[in-house]
Amino acid sequence: MSRTVIGGVGYRNLRDYSLGVVMSDELEPEARPPSLLVEDLCYGPVAVGQWFLDEARDAPITRAVFVTAVAREDGRPPGTISVYRWDHVLPSAEEIQRAMTDAVTGVILLDNTLIVTEWMKALPAEAVVVEVEPMEHAFGDAMSPAVAAAYPRACELVMRLAADPELSRLLPASPLGGCWAATVQPKVVW
Amino acid sequence: MCFKNLPIEFDAQGKASLKGGVANPYSTATAGPPNVPKQLTQEQAIELVKRNGHIKDVDFDPVTRVAGALAFHTVADVKERRVLEGRSVATLFRGYEVIMVGRDPRDAIYITSRACGVCGGVHSTCSALAIEMAIGCQPPPLGVLIRNLALSLEFLYDNPLHLHLLAGPDYSEAIVKGTNPALIERAKGTEAAHVDVHGFRTIHDLMVDLNPLSGGLYLEALHMTRVAREAYVLICGKYPHPQTIVPGGMSSTINLTVMNEMFVRMSQFFDYAKKMAGIWEDLTNFFYDANPEYKKVGARRANMIDTGIFDDADAYDTTYKNANVWGNRRWCTPGAIVEGKLVTTDLQTINIGIEEFIEHSYYEPWTGGGQQQHFPTDPAGHPLSPHHMWNKVTKPKPGAQNWKDKYTWDTAPRFDRLSMEAGCYARLWNTAVAKKMPDNPYITATGHSLKMRLPRGKLPETEIEWHVPDVWNAFERNRARAYCIGWTSLIALNTWTAAMERLKDGDTKTSTKFEIPKTGEQRGVGFWGAGRGYLTHHLVLDRGAVSNYQIVTPSTWNASPTDKWGQPGPYEEAVMNTPLLEESTDPEQFRGIDILRAIRSFDPCMPCTTHIQSEAGMITREVNTCACGLDE
Repeated sequence: MSRTVIGGVGYRNLRDYSLGVVMSDELEPEARPPSLLVEDLCYGPVAVGQWFLDEARDAPITRAVFVTAVAREDGRPPGTISVYRWDHVLPSAEEIQRAMTDAVTGVILLDNTLIVTEWMKALPAEAVVVEVEPMEHAFGDAMSPAVAAAYPRACELVMRLAADPELSRLLPASPLGGCWAATVQPKVVW
Repeated sequence: MCFKNLPIEFDAQGKASLKGGVANPYSTATAGPPNVPKQLTQEQAIELVKRNGHIKDVDFDPVTRVAGALAFHTVADVKERRVLEGRSVATLFRGYEVIMVGRDPRDAIYITSRACGVCGGVHSTCSALAIEMAIGCQPPPLGVLIRNLALSLEFLYDNPLHLHLLAGPDYSEAIVKGTNPALIERAKGTEAAHVDVHGFRTIHDLMVDLNPLSGGLYLEALHMTRVAREAYVLICGKYPHPQTIVPGGMSSTINLTVMNEMFVRMSQFFDYAKKMAGIWEDLTNFFYDANPEYKKVGARRANMIDTGIFDDADAYDTTYKNANVWGNRRWCTPGAIVEGKLVTTDLQTINIGIEEFIEHSYYEPWTGGGQQQHFPTDPAGHPLSPHHMWNKVTKPKPGAQNWKDKYTWDTAPRFDRLSMEAGCYARLWNTAVAKKMPDNPYITATGHSLKMRLPRGKLPETEIEWHVPDVWNAFERNRARAYCIGWTSLIALNTWTAAMERLKDGDTKTSTKFEIPKTGEQRGVGFWGAGRGYLTHHLVLDRGAVSNYQIVTPSTWNASPTDKWGQPGPYEEAVMNTPLLEESTDPEQFRGIDILRAIRSFDPCMPCTTHIQSEAGMITREVNTCACGLDE
């Protein structure tokens, strides 16, 4: 039995930047088939990679749907939901080492998680990203109105993408940051 | 005489008091400590750059993708191959001191843990210690032992991580072939003295395995950090921010299964420690032999400070009154070292000698203007500076960067008004010289060295010995850090054995119940340490809530700016003493590897990530990360 993981990435108590962990907390108790795991992946990317490798020993994990808030700072309005399927293309060795450095010194960021777990050959073959443009970067548990408004839709999308492999395969394979960051491809904004 | 710059004297019983006849004993309008290094004045620096084309104004500026928070500005004379001026700049206000005010003190354990993404457990513990002292809650012996074990495991994560994932690449074949190709040729012909321990026949073989991402030592370090982390979470629930550290001990359930699983992981570090000591001995000696000038890279006065760590379960009683007694019974002895000499091991003396200054920091003063000093003395009646943490009030005041005025969010902590550095090597040095550590079968302090008898694993039982060095520099910091892995693993072994004895006797209690007092004012301080050295949390409670909370981390000391008297902080001083030994003679090709090694040897934590760029857009390099960028 191959499995799919929904993984929330971010920080706790950091307002909009907690979106990933809030969602994994909320989805975790839901009844679901055993082929679907919901995991809080808000910890070091190296440990996340090791978790994937350990889990794969029990039963293969072929798909992962990551959800996070990430500021692309490129004009995307707060609350915008972007979805992409990562093309698994790693950056230069220098960039990988930078990601490793961030990873081992406590930085939690989806791009790092993808780079490091891919470098460790731990990332599932299909990695789908649902990201929301945040606004508030401050201590606290309340999301900004824009992100709070987007949250239910993001949650629904995550569940649909996790449950339906065909749907996620419709997404174009994109570099890190998704179509939003890749000017050569059309934007996929939900 | 411990204090030479503060007007504090001691009576025959060791009680400290202010010297008579000093009108304003803590005034900063004095000449400052004599015979200390001085920064260039801003005018001198500008004049030098103007007159000499080969003098470069080089910024090491935070441009990390994620969380960079330390910049470094230098004036470098590339022709003369030396750094003339160095300015360390913490670019982010973190504000835990402000966040904590008004909160329930128990929140501090979880909130301050976030001060570091690597070593959250040390902040949680330091916070718990401060609360324990403030409210008078003594943990049971097993609670103390388990706390020691947890934190020793954290260091076994931290030190290999720094040495081979962060600092090691600076000395790798991939980097050195770009900066000093002649060294690579030399390394190919240099046999490694400790081949029987680490398995590398030549230094070149060793340097290849230090290569980032692909080197065997890099990958092995990645694995060993996992081993330590697995052992840690058996006690603490999660890493890096533990859930089981509480005032009065630990909330973990400890049984034979947990202890055995922990031992299986902990014991893997005995062989690893032998290997690490051999590697960093060989690497250091290779660079020294190749060019003795390497002894000047990152060199500075051996001024160090540490509050010790790992309590004796039978001695620790949480009180400030007895802090000198239980502090001196710690596995790692507290101490202040000035110019290579240990001047005290007493926690109270260390505490009253510390002040924080903000002349070059983005804060408003909390002294002067008729403000009354909140605590004129410590709880034992010793004099306390108005600049001391218990008296400090954090008043952030953002502003423009100006080397002459304000340029950093870090403060300038000073001991006896001297710039001190923090690191795991400070406690190694203190312990080796003081000879006060508990009797045990594995570790011996000789007064000039620390001998460590590492048990048999795949490698035979081996004694390694760290010697107090003649010079203090980047290489010695890394060499000492490598020995700290063996030292910490043996402290863990001693502690594990003591905990097992307690369990065998049916003692399973790991915590003591406590209540937060709802009336009156209480004071506490956590004296602890991180993988990278000194750590204190000073706490004041008022009617059950935090009224003041002050954290001083190792990086507060190490990244501190120049003080009012022109005395540079440790990074600044180390960089200013660093010769530029890269082989390129073209100023435009200046890469800064020696400066990177100097700063990185302090193990700057992630929030202090540092990059380099020249104002001319010439150089952009990270400092606390691998120097892969040099390999372009």
